[in-house]
Amino acid sequence: MAVTAVHQLAQCITCHAWSADRSMVALCPNNSEVHIYRLVEDKWEKVHVLQKHDQIISGIDWGARSNKIVTASHDRNSYVWNLERSEWVPTLVILRLNRAALCVQWSPKENKFAVGSGAKTVCICYYEQENNWWVSKLIRKRHDSSVTSVSWHPDNILVASTSTDGKCRIFSTFIKGVDARDPKKESRFGELIVQLDLSSSWTFGVKWSPSGNTLAYVGHNSVIYFVDDVGPSPLAQNVVFRDLPLRDVLFVSEKMVIGVGYDCIPMVFAADERGIWSFIRYLGERKAVSSGSRYGSQFSEAFGKFYGQAKLGVSNDAVETSRTRGVVHENCINSIIPLSRQGTQIRRFSTSGLDGKIVMWDLETEQDLLELLVH
Amino acid sequence: MSSTRRGNHHHHHQSPMASTLRPYLTCIRNTLDAAMCLQNFPCQEVERHNKPEVELKSSPELLLNPVLICRNEAEKCLIETSINSLRISLKVKQADELENILTKKFLRFLSMRAEAFQVLRRKPVQGYDISFLITNYHCEEMQKHKLIDFIDIDKEISELKMSVNTRGRLVATEFLKQFI
Repeated sequence: MAVTAVHQLAQCITCHAWSADRSMVALCPNNSEVHIYRLVEDKWEKVHVLQKHDQIISGIDWGARSNKIVTASHDRNSYVWNLERSEWVPTLVILRLNRAALCVQWSPKENKFAVGSGAKTVCICYYEQENNWWVSKLIRKRHDSSVTSVSWHPDNILVASTSTDGKCRIFSTFIKGVDARDPKKESRFGELIVQLDLSSSWTFGVKWSPSGNTLAYVGHNSVIYFVDDVGPSPLAQNVVFRDLPLRDVLFVSEKMVIGVGYDCIPMVFAADERGIWSFIRYLGERKAVSSGSRYGSQFSEAFGKFYGQAKLGVSNDAVETSRTRGVVHENCINSIIPLSRQGTQIRRFSTSGLDGKIVMWDLETEQDLLELLVH
Repeated sequence: MSSTRRGNHHHHHQSPMASTLRPYLTCIRNTLDAAMCLQNFPCQEVERHNKPEVELKSSPELLLNPVLICRNEAEKCLIETSINSLRISLKVKQADELENILTKKFLRFLSMRAEAFQVLRRKPVQGYDISFLITNYHCEEMQKHKLIDFIDIDKEISELKMSVNTRGRLVATEFLKQFI
């Protein structure tokens, strides 16, 4: 069984992030606070409550090297939190946004962070030593709708962003004085490197593969997009699946992605030797479709066959199926975060969702998937 | 979910009422399951606001195409979805005076239940008898399948049967039979 632990830490969780040694987790319990829990013996104890935002916190990221926590909120602000002795001290970052901040992520070197907003912009924040504060630089080119997720390329310069306008845009965030110039990859701050217009619906959950060669993101139309060679001539693939849409993804290796969303059960996607991505299977028990439908399976079947709806498919009891799957999460999963790295592979990760649970997963028990990982 | 779907008229060789009800309800349930993929989403047009986009309609890209499910000309269900909220509107058959009274009782019963769940829309959408508004907040508080169960007309009618008075019971039973 891939699940190693289930922790009910709130009624509903918006987002979560782990400390570097994974002994502490910071989460937003669907309000304007961040709760930090520490594992004491084998129980989770709430050790800190960070109260500064006055609206819901949409994103939390915990820098592994710097140990700084960055938060973004619908109140249009971001705070960078530093642990001083045993107190988390907030520093307001003036983002200069006039709409909600929707997502945030530290850059790989943790000297910058990116924020996506309801103002349809992405802003990049960096620390200015002389003035001892965080400066926000707005990327001028806007999306046509809210920015739903941001993700840094391992080079600490490129940022990918998704939006409710259906597009994925990759920008350069090169900042003189902060980033080292690379004569092979020259770019200006805010330069739009690539605009991917692959989805007819809202896009979410963008992530880069460990090498930065592949990009993955999801569309609300139950599709996951994989893009190789991100640049002037990218190679895009889309994998359509019959279930409910995903919200977030994680590259567990260069060739395997785990997707999570409204079906409450993680989905595994992998690329074969030719680099073609496809859906492999679900993570966890998936019980057979029950035939004892309260609506009378004969009518449902006839209806389904008549309309030949691929979505309704064999199981017309779409609602029944996810209920009887023996799922661990009972409501939408909206975040998936890595727990441990072995080289470029992630074998353990955590998920959180609207059911208020944080679930820890380990691929060690999934022999078939381990073989695909090392591909 | 981009097309208008109709679930009607295809089982006319069987008893008309019973045969179109099941596919109609199944279609509604399945559409709802997909439509209920909602998330918290702050307003793009007004700062610090967070309102149901299906009502506000502040930004067209945040709305999905509405789905109309027709059992027949007189009975239909409209499901309108957005990124953080959805509206379900029902038009219920009212063939004659007596059925009219019973339908009103049924709708009033549904309204009271809806109010308890806080999903009732005060005014039905134009052309419909009753409308429900479901937001991401409902999905956060309740498990999705419980919400869909609530919209389940079958169950509601069985419970309504209990509240109909003796005098109208015979007529009521005949009327209600068509829903079972």
